Amino acid sequence: LKLQEASEATDMVDRTAAIRAAGKSFSEDKDRAFEARMMDEYAKLLLLQQTLEKDADGRVPFIGLSVNETIYKCITTGQSKKADRVRSDWKVPDKRFWYIKLHALTESRDWEGLDAF
Amino acid sequence: PAADSSDPGVDVGVLKQLAKTGLVEALNAVPGGKTLVLDPTLAGPLGLVTEVSLLKQHGVDKMFWLEAGALSSQSQNIVYLCRPQIRWMKIIAQQIKLHTASSERHSYTLLLVPRRTILCDRILEEEGVFGDITLGQLKLEFIPLEEDVLSLEMENTYREVFLDGDNTAIYYSAQALMTVQQAFGLFPRIIGKGDAAKRLADLLLRMRQAGLADDPTSPALSLPSTVLDALVVVDRAVDMITPLCTQLTYQGLIDELVGIKNSYVEVDASLLSTAPQQMSGAPSLPAPGPTPALGPSSAQPKKKKHLLQASSDAVFTDLRDENFSVVGAHLNRLAKRLNEDYEGRHRAQTVEQLRDFVGKLGGLQSEHLALRLHTGLSEQIVPMTQTEVFNKSLEVQQNLIAGYDVNAQFSTIEDLINREAPLHVVLRLLCLYSITVGGIKPKQLENTKREILQTYGYQYLTLLLHLSSLNLLLKAPAPAPHLPLPSLRKHLRLLVDDVSEQAPTDIAYVYSGYAPLSIRLVQCVTMKPAVVAAEMGEKAVGGGSGGGEAQKEGTLKVVPRAHPIMGWKGFDEIVRSVPGETFDEVQRPEGDGTGKVDRESARHRLSAGADGRIVLPKGHSTTTVVFFLGGCTYTEIAALRWMSRQTRGRKYLICTTSIVNGSSLIDSLSPAPWAPITT
Repeated sequence: LKLQEASEATDMVDRTAAIRAAGKSFSEDKDRAFEARMMDEYAKLLLLQQTLEKDADGRVPFIGLSVNETIYKCITTGQSKKADRVRSDWKVPDKRFWYIKLHALTESRDWEGLDAF
Repeated sequence: PAADSSDPGVDVGVLKQLAKTGLVEALNAVPGGKTLVLDPTLAGPLGLVTEVSLLKQHGVDKMFWLEAGALSSQSQNIVYLCRPQIRWMKIIAQQIKLHTASSERHSYTLLLVPRRTILCDRILEEEGVFGDITLGQLKLEFIPLEEDVLSLEMENTYREVFLDGDNTAIYYSAQALMTVQQAFGLFPRIIGKGDAAKRLADLLLRMRQAGLADDPTSPALSLPSTVLDALVVVDRAVDMITPLCTQLTYQGLIDELVGIKNSYVEVDASLLSTAPQQMSGAPSLPAPGPTPALGPSSAQPKKKKHLLQASSDAVFTDLRDENFSVVGAHLNRLAKRLNEDYEGRHRAQTVEQLRDFVGKLGGLQSEHLALRLHTGLSEQIVPMTQTEVFNKSLEVQQNLIAGYDVNAQFSTIEDLINREAPLHVVLRLLCLYSITVGGIKPKQLENTKREILQTYGYQYLTLLLHLSSLNLLLKAPAPAPHLPLPSLRKHLRLLVDDVSEQAPTDIAYVYSGYAPLSIRLVQCVTMKPAVVAAEMGEKAVGGGSGGGEAQKEGTLKVVPRAHPIMGWKGFDEIVRSVPGETFDEVQRPEGDGTGKVDRESARHRLSAGADGRIVLPKGHSTTTVVFFLGGCTYTEIAALRWMSRQTRGRKYLICTTSIVNGSSLIDSLSPAPWAPITT
């Protein structure tokens, strides 16, 4: 229910608040610990995306992307350090990360980066 | 082996006529010119029973989609046509209030499909516009998609019934089946599987009693039908394996990969552009304005809607239920034959022969066009079936059903997530894993869910929750009663090794090896020998009843006669092991003086001719109605049609709430897309 609210919120602050609220209501049910954790991750991601967008002066849209897409975007815009940070903060398994990186480097024709792989 | 003559069974055209007349009467009830405001979800279904020209004839001068916002209309009369849903009521009330505010005067008519509800009345009352509207209902029930397929075209039934616990669809289904009984007589027997199916059957029995109380002499309610021998109800929750697998028949694959909606498929206009005469026959109600024919210079391939229906396309009739692996060869053969037929003109020497040829030309040309369309469609599909994702997922499906090395299958699924395979593919496989294996180890499950959310987006959490509340995605060990797959595999022979796609000897050909559980259950009722043969592990179950006999005779195959309906007899135990209620009700004659009839003679009555023998009278064929509550797939339809051809004397009439596939089911469970964030 709270999730539906979150999906309808078009404002950043509202959405984050709604997601936190959803996380909280999940945490009240001990069988829903996983869902609560996921909502925490989501709220954190939105915050990070906000700062990423600010750093890029709003030229690169980040908000609303998935974790994978965020990493991808970071690499294609030459911010591989930040991509690595997302990787460790969200505990992205190696295999998935390498797939993303491979695609992103190919996309941006970063042959040196590919070589260094 | 289509040995049966062209006996069409029951004529469903009468139902289409019913829907059409209903609409015309409703429109005529509003005098003068009128603006029609249409619920977009009804356009497709309506398009199957009527044409725009018909609406125009009955005074519709403008048509709009029902959507939020103001409605501007010149006509005095406005007719709303929509499903009885709260959101539509709110929009309508809003539009009326806007008109009142700007002192526009209209008279409003609201037609609810299929029925007016108290809830809608109340909302209109609350909004204060109840008095301004004339309310009516339009009984749009079963729509014949083909002469053997009826659909309610209610897309979200699976979700509503099994997730939301909303029984409205069951009620509508019962109403529609009552209409069928009014037209063709009582179903002598109602047999079924599944909790929701049971609720439907109970409702049907109650409706009959209520109807009899009103009118004890009604022949349609008191006597069993002589053309229908039973209704078999299967609800979708009983068999989710089948829709989760990739359909491998021609029509099934088109639905999976291109998409078929209300019998329409969107194809490149270039495949149709030389076929204007073919298009004109198709009702174009849902068309967003006809696309002009393409000039040779325009590069952008435009999409055009095409009605896929066997009645207007002989090539499609031959192809639709074939396994896709033989479609290419089939098309090739057809092209060769067509070529020879064209060449025939050179052989024509006398004037008479020439006239003969010209006479055939029209038929040849339409066949030619159809061939072009289907070759084009196949060419579009072939590359899609050659992708790694497609083949991996097919492999995982087959292995899971076979119970072969399930751990390896799980890693393949994980791998597909890593490669960002389409979410549908991943979820269908994951659910299939959960159902066939009986849940996923808690740690693995949590990990995978996390991977999915990170890869595809956290907004899919709701969808994951829905899947688990439907018991499609569960922690192992699964608590709910779960499908005893190994024993089903054995006793119902769900997996057929030596399946022949060219000359199918078993329904398993539709999935190249997997026999759909839902249809095996129907076979337990209507084609027992086929299932028995399966259990004994006979190589071919082709002959249906007396399959062994047919085999001995080799090529001279005698299509055996259908046996009368005897409920689940012989398979009670195995059928009961599948979760969901099992039932078998006999509708006895009532109110005609023969009140006391025991079960046995009731059965004889329906299957015996005037001479009282138990066997069906010669040449007389009976129809078994199979109703899928929550939707059925094109492969299931194909399998039932195949069964029709295996026995003399029994046809199947397939009824469903809508046509589905695994992806459309998953879509129906997904919440609305998240609103974009504006910063």
